[in-house]
Amino acid sequence: MNIWDSLYQFLVSFGGTLAFGILFHVPRRQYVACGLTGAAGWVVYMWMMQVQTSTVVASLVAVLPLTALARLFANRRKAPITLFLLCGIFPLVPGAGIYYTAYYFITNQTDLTVIKGAETIKIAGALALGMVLILSLPSRLFQPLFGKSALK
Amino acid sequence: MENCHSVLELAVQAGEILLENGAEVFRVQQTMEIMAAAYGADGFHVYVLTNGIFASMQEDGKNQVARLENVPQSSVHLARIDAVNTLSRQVAQGQVSMEDAFARLEEIRQIPTLSLPLQLLACGAGSGFFAVLFGGTWPDFACAFLAGFLLQLLLWQAEKNHVNKIITKLLGAALVTAVAAVCMVVGVGRDMDKIIIGSIMPLVPGIAMTMAIRDFFNGDYLSGTIRLMDALIIGLSIAAGVGAVLTFAAEWGVQL
Repeated sequence: MNIWDSLYQFLVSFGGTLAFGILFHVPRRQYVACGLTGAAGWVVYMWMMQVQTSTVVASLVAVLPLTALARLFANRRKAPITLFLLCGIFPLVPGAGIYYTAYYFITNQTDLTVIKGAETIKIAGALALGMVLILSLPSRLFQPLFGKSALK
Repeated sequence: MENCHSVLELAVQAGEILLENGAEVFRVQQTMEIMAAAYGADGFHVYVLTNGIFASMQEDGKNQVARLENVPQSSVHLARIDAVNTLSRQVAQGQVSMEDAFARLEEIRQIPTLSLPLQLLACGAGSGFFAVLFGGTWPDFACAFLAGFLLQLLLWQAEKNHVNKIITKLLGAALVTAVAAVCMVVGVGRDMDKIIIGSIMPLVPGIAMTMAIRDFFNGDYLSGTIRLMDALIIGLSIAAGVGAVLTFAAEWGVQL
């Protein structure tokens, strides 16, 4: 994926994340931060999909910088991390996977149901694992290096 | 220590706002404990589920006061969560009196939701962008935008009339699929699958599923199970909605 493709993916996922952020009533001053969190996660995901084939591994790797960024924003901007995490995770979350699993299930395609269902659960597990991992790091790692709260 | 009843009442009200607007279980619990401690409560215990709050408090080490609150899930409103968070920060620093805190909570409850036109545009744009993100083309963006736009209109109507959640999702998925099918027949859409996935994004419980597993990792097994069941049921009803329309289309011999 060259730089222009990356930029394109970045912009589209920024737009998508922001649109759902607005639908979730994110405060207006946090719009850009929310969009950035989502776009960062998605671009890393796309990069990972270039170098290997597992969506689960790509999700796990992508959620790490995403959660770290969300924590940074939460500290910097004095807002609950939920804001950035809930919006930012949106592009990675296996919504389509749940739909496909259920669709195969009701159309009696049992083998596809099992394959898609297992993948969906693993992706959700990978995302949750990555999130919990970054959230359990000590909070001083995410303190801003400069700015008001660093002076305290 | 302030009046035991009002401390409990305040904490429960704050927790209720957080929970019904989409905050995580452990955050609700944490915020309630912080607020109760700030007003000098010592024997304060709280247990939070995805759809309920149980809290109790001791007065002078003998009288027990308890509150039970049923909190049905409504839509996500992050601005309200942000506001409660700010309030609890200030309460913890001892800057807010009890009366002010109650007044602030009432203000937070009144933070408006988005106007309908904005909701429609946001949902349309989100659907369109995700159709492109999942590999669709820009004509698909237009189709998904239309589908998402109409979907939000349906969701809004359904919420106003208190339609059952599962029926709402089923109808929403059916609507989206019908719009995608019409777009394909007219010749605007390029990839029907991408249009459908993009515009069911507002419906699918991807976040619920991920947060369910996160609840498990935090040891909140009951809350995780509630969320997981929610995700499964909603997933099934969406698939049923899409499947019904596709089956009818095939029956009527529509080439998609």
